[in-house]
Amino acid sequence: MRTERPVVKKPASRQRLLMRGERLVAFVGIMVAGVFLSAMAGSLWWALQAQRRVSQAANVEKVRVIGESLARTAETLLTANEVSTLRAVIAEAGVKYNLDSCRIVLPNGQVIADADPLRINLLKVPSRWSGAAETYAESSAGKKTSVRCPLVIQRRGQAHLEISATTASGLLTDLEAQSGLGVIGALSLIALLLVYRHCRVRLRAIGAVRQALLAASAGEKALGALEVSPKFGPEAAAWNRILTEKKELTEQIVLARAKESLQSGHAASGEVGAACDALPHGLILVDANKRVKYVNGAAAVLLQAQRDKIMGADLTEFIHDERILEPIQRAAAGPTHKRTIIEHERDASAGGGVLRYVIRPVRREDSGVAMIIIEDITQQRVAEKARNEFLAQAAHELRTPLSNIRLYVETALEEGLNDPATQAKCFNVINEESGRLERIVSDILSVSEVEAGAFDLKNDDVRFQEILSQLQADYGPQAKEKRIEFTFQSPPKLPVMHGDRDKITLALHNLIGNALKYTPEGGQVTVSASVDQSQIAFDVTDTGIGVSSEETEKIFEKFYRAHNGRAACETGSGLGLALAREVVRLHGGDITVQSEPNQGSTFTLTLPIIQEAA
Amino acid sequence: MKVLAQQYGAVAVIKPDGPLAATDAEDFKEQFLQVLRENLGRVVLDASSVPVVDSKGLETLVELTNEIAQSGQALKLCAANRTVREVLELTGISAQFEHFEDVNSAVRSFL
Repeated sequence: MRTERPVVKKPASRQRLLMRGERLVAFVGIMVAGVFLSAMAGSLWWALQAQRRVSQAANVEKVRVIGESLARTAETLLTANEVSTLRAVIAEAGVKYNLDSCRIVLPNGQVIADADPLRINLLKVPSRWSGAAETYAESSAGKKTSVRCPLVIQRRGQAHLEISATTASGLLTDLEAQSGLGVIGALSLIALLLVYRHCRVRLRAIGAVRQALLAASAGEKALGALEVSPKFGPEAAAWNRILTEKKELTEQIVLARAKESLQSGHAASGEVGAACDALPHGLILVDANKRVKYVNGAAAVLLQAQRDKIMGADLTEFIHDERILEPIQRAAAGPTHKRTIIEHERDASAGGGVLRYVIRPVRREDSGVAMIIIEDITQQRVAEKARNEFLAQAAHELRTPLSNIRLYVETALEEGLNDPATQAKCFNVINEESGRLERIVSDILSVSEVEAGAFDLKNDDVRFQEILSQLQADYGPQAKEKRIEFTFQSPPKLPVMHGDRDKITLALHNLIGNALKYTPEGGQVTVSASVDQSQIAFDVTDTGIGVSSEETEKIFEKFYRAHNGRAACETGSGLGLALAREVVRLHGGDITVQSEPNQGSTFTLTLPIIQEAA
Repeated sequence: MKVLAQQYGAVAVIKPDGPLAATDAEDFKEQFLQVLRENLGRVVLDASSVPVVDSKGLETLVELTNEIAQSGQALKLCAANRTVREVLELTGISAQFEHFEDVNSAVRSFL
């Protein structure tokens, strides 16, 4: 699952508060908020100032009109000496017009009427009084407006009316204004936050894509680093799609170029290329950078890789041994002209085997190319080893009877001239050892013939009844001598088949001879024959020393002698079973063994019946 | 179908036991190719236990010999019985194989 992560790595301090793509949004948001709040505050201040001026002017006018009106009424009422009515009118005006003060004062300062009756200090108004009245005056101090109107009362004297009122704050008080400002500001901020959230969601993708673009222009090529999380919305998905398409296009171009290169390589080689493919040896051409310029089919098999993958690849991906790579480098780039041959033993884990690398330079005017020929020499190595072992074993086997012959010839010459008994004994031994030598040489020759494919089989009638009788006669005395119970079990009638009678007899000789040889005194050896529709089988069962399960196949190898104490006491070339099995297999049959150490063995010889006869 | 693989020195001998036909042929092909790759192409096909080959079997044999031909070799076929040999001859693909009488001759051909 893809995780959301920054497109381009930035210092942590710059990303602590803001997510990718939000810096732009945050900057714009803060600027807009600042301007908005400033404008709002300015507007409010200006509106309040204007309102205050208007309401003050209106208050002055109101007080003036009230003053004039009350002045005329007071003159009339005082002329008519209606003092109580005047006081009632003044008190009513004070309440009605919300006046701070409203009174009528005589020139000597005595108050004859007031909105607040307690402030009247001349209850009984004299009929006449002296003194001049004050002139008309208006004054404003802060919110307070005062008007003084002169009164002329006929036949009584002069007085003046004083009115003062405080300008009301109009519709809003300062507290209301501040509260309103706070509420409007808060609402504005909430609205701004909502707008910011919306913009943030929309602009995050654009911000992320912008950062990815900047990273791409800075040289970032990794697709993973340029991709934007699809959670950012359709813009991010569109950007990712563009990146994916670019990647696919790049891959297609690379693939097309590779194919073109491959095809041009094939076309250039033409028939020569086909000829190289028909070579059983691997052939590789590499340039000075160890890039493979050509590889044939056999090389691909020997390197255990697909040919297309090797073509154009770095050779070090397929050959890791520095002993091989170093001369390749030298041949491709260096001044050397000589060839280098390296035999490389592969790891058993890789299938084993021995490969021979022949490395030589191919000089061209424009560039150096090294040619590597790979040859699989595993089978040759195996054959060489087998041949060496065969020779060593054969020499060893031949030396024993030869040594004996030489020893007894010397004895006969030195001591036998005057002693006929010694001489006769020596000649007997020489005769036996010569016979043994002949058998060994004969077996070796037979094995060699089988291996060389030059082992001729005669086409006789093989009559098993006769062969078994002969074998019984041949080995009876030997079994009796070792007090071995030697029995033959066979159906009354055995088939006659076509084959090499002598060779088949030799194989049965080997099996029965071995059984008697490796069975201790008092044991049992049974030869039983059985026949079915397609084959005849001979089981040679003994109660001898047996063979371990690990050795049941090895005993059929040339010169192999079982690693058993008692087996080592007996003489033998180790060729008999190998030869017997080869002979039987040449007839289409086989020899198998079932055995338990110290319990005995059963060797089974099977032969297909090619032609049945009565 | 049981397929036995036995090592003769450095050479692997593959011995299918049964008719090379139908789905068995496909399984046999997979096993053969695996041994072929592991043994660097040193492989012999012992046909001594293959009584018959059908069209699918023939197709498999041709595919295998084509695969081996890419490394400049031919499929080494040994001990094929008369029926199998006749089928190969009649279908005209016999020449694509190297024929040997027995396993030993086929193995020795790698020397």
